[in-house]
Amino acid sequence: MLEANLQQRINAQLLDKLQLAYICVDSSMTVVEVSDNLSSYGYNDIVIGANVEECVDFMFGFDAQTQLDLPMVQSPSGITISVSLLPSDRLLTVLISNASNQADQRQLLQQKANENELLVERQEKLLTQLEQASEQLESKNEQLEEASRLQTSFLSGVSHEFRTPLTSIIGYTNLVEQSLQCPTDKTGSDIQQKADHLRAVQRSSRHLLSLVENLLDHGKLDSDEIMLRPKTTNLVELFQDVELLLKPLSDAKHIELTINLDIDDSTIVVIDDSRLRQCLINLLGNAVKFTDHGSVSLTADLSGDFLSIKVADTGPGISDEDLQKIRLPFWQAADTGKAGTGLGLTITERIIELMGGELEVSSVLSEGTQVSFQIPAPMLMDQECAKVLNSKQSLADMTVLLAEDDHDIAALMVVMMAERGVHLTHVENGALALEAMQSTTFDFVLMDIHMPVMTGYETLAALQQANNSTPVVIMSASTVEAGRMKAESLGCYDYLIKPVDVDDVIEIMNHVALDKDADHTC
Amino acid sequence: MRKKKICMVGDFSVGKTSITQKFVNNVFSEKYLTTIGVKIDTATVGEDKLIVWDVAGRDSLSPINASYLVGASGVILVADGSRSSTVGGLLEIWQTVTNRIGSVPVVVALNKADLDGWQIDDHSRALLDQQGWDVFATSAKDGKNVEAVFKKLVEIMNCKES
Repeated sequence: MLEANLQQRINAQLLDKLQLAYICVDSSMTVVEVSDNLSSYGYNDIVIGANVEECVDFMFGFDAQTQLDLPMVQSPSGITISVSLLPSDRLLTVLISNASNQADQRQLLQQKANENELLVERQEKLLTQLEQASEQLESKNEQLEEASRLQTSFLSGVSHEFRTPLTSIIGYTNLVEQSLQCPTDKTGSDIQQKADHLRAVQRSSRHLLSLVENLLDHGKLDSDEIMLRPKTTNLVELFQDVELLLKPLSDAKHIELTINLDIDDSTIVVIDDSRLRQCLINLLGNAVKFTDHGSVSLTADLSGDFLSIKVADTGPGISDEDLQKIRLPFWQAADTGKAGTGLGLTITERIIELMGGELEVSSVLSEGTQVSFQIPAPMLMDQECAKVLNSKQSLADMTVLLAEDDHDIAALMVVMMAERGVHLTHVENGALALEAMQSTTFDFVLMDIHMPVMTGYETLAALQQANNSTPVVIMSASTVEAGRMKAESLGCYDYLIKPVDVDDVIEIMNHVALDKDADHTC
Repeated sequence: MRKKKICMVGDFSVGKTSITQKFVNNVFSEKYLTTIGVKIDTATVGEDKLIVWDVAGRDSLSPINASYLVGASGVILVADGSRSSTVGGLLEIWQTVTNRIGSVPVVVALNKADLDGWQIDDHSRALLDQQGWDVFATSAKDGKNVEAVFKKLVEIMNCKES
């Protein structure tokens, strides 16, 4: 007995020394024996007769035959242990040893190794990102170089495009000035010559204006600022205008320009005439520019509220490769030797899309090019057409007020409107306009925006507040859409961009007269 | 209460311990401390008591110790969504699991969904889809889908038992 106790004590000391603990379970996983030092690992509630799966978490799921090593298990005390399951005939011994030193060393090494590996992974990822960024930069650089090249070519094109009409304007105005300084020769041929010179100046000025409009429109294309303003339009008159504008260009190149219309003279449609005119000038202008021999023709017909237009030329044609690029902004064929901005077709295509059409281009090298499109153009009924046409008779009776601080523009407007039988009363700012409108009733007001004392916007606001419904047409040099929208919100009747075409003013006055008649009829 | 042993397995530093701690103790730490061996925790899902074995992650030097898997009724495969290699590695890890304990119920947690760079590429997504696994985008940091992953696994395990 004494010997047995001694042996037991020696065994316990040995287990403590080796930091070993054990649990013995039978075949039903019932605890039959445990070492006294189990509590040092946090296993305090293990009693003889208990099911080991209930009191030791890591034992769940094993059976008495399981032979297994579980290195480095964190025990409830926080000490890392190694567990060995050692089955024998009737018992399963669960041997538990302290593995904290081993775990601590492993922790240090593993932590470092894992952190290094994460670092390498991150470096690789960063390198990949860096490579991608570098590729993107390279591609961006190429794009910038291309943009810079296009810009240079664009500036040189624009410069050339501006210089040509400016040279013509300066040259012809010099000639007219010289002839005015020597007023001896007053023969009919001299007067005819001066008239020709002035026509050349006018032509060049209009060309300059269309260039400026194209440049401004290109800026608006990106911001979707281009808006359509459909109004009643006599199509035949519009095509005649365009023909008159381009004829001098085609005559100068000795090529035939024909306009074939299958449209009745009195047909009135609702369409944005200035945008359509812009498209036609761009397309016909391009055709005339690139055709050195032969002809340029425009064919138009109107059927079922749709206007179909085809422009054909006998120019050098466009290669298949270039056909893919002609719609790109600033693009110009390299070997034509023709100057330009490379914007006309881009803008035209976009405007036609806005109008509900699609620009189609086909070409055969050495034979010529055809561009065509079809857009909605709702026709007015005969009765409505008659009203629009007849309204042009009654303008002389209209009383018109002009508010404009620029004396040159005001004087020009007074003269040009007088030529069309319309008398203008001129004031220099909005305050004077309001004063004049208090003493006299005007049928129509033409007004600048930027004026001293009281601006056009302020005047519109004052009129709106006073419930004065006199139609006011704004004339502004600003092409910013926000300006138009502000004026419209203040109740302006229409908005014209300077330089104002007197014919446009007359047309608006016709509409005002038409509206007035309609009111009276009602 | 029914007891079930489940194992969290995956590559190192994918967030196995973080997901476990978020689920068991509702805590999260940004600090990375690699797990050595295995940590055992318990949690309750409905009528089931889960014994969760948070197994040390696989790294380039040491594979997963399959001894820890013995007796498990289900497995949560964890990958880091911002490291595509850990997603691809799930197939090899699943092979280790099935070799040792057979095809037990499994769900996948694609962790660290709160990170900006978190993105599962098409190839990895196709790999996971082919397996027919239930996949959850989880975040141990904000708790997203953490509970859902455990609940789904319990649901599958119970379904298999019944």
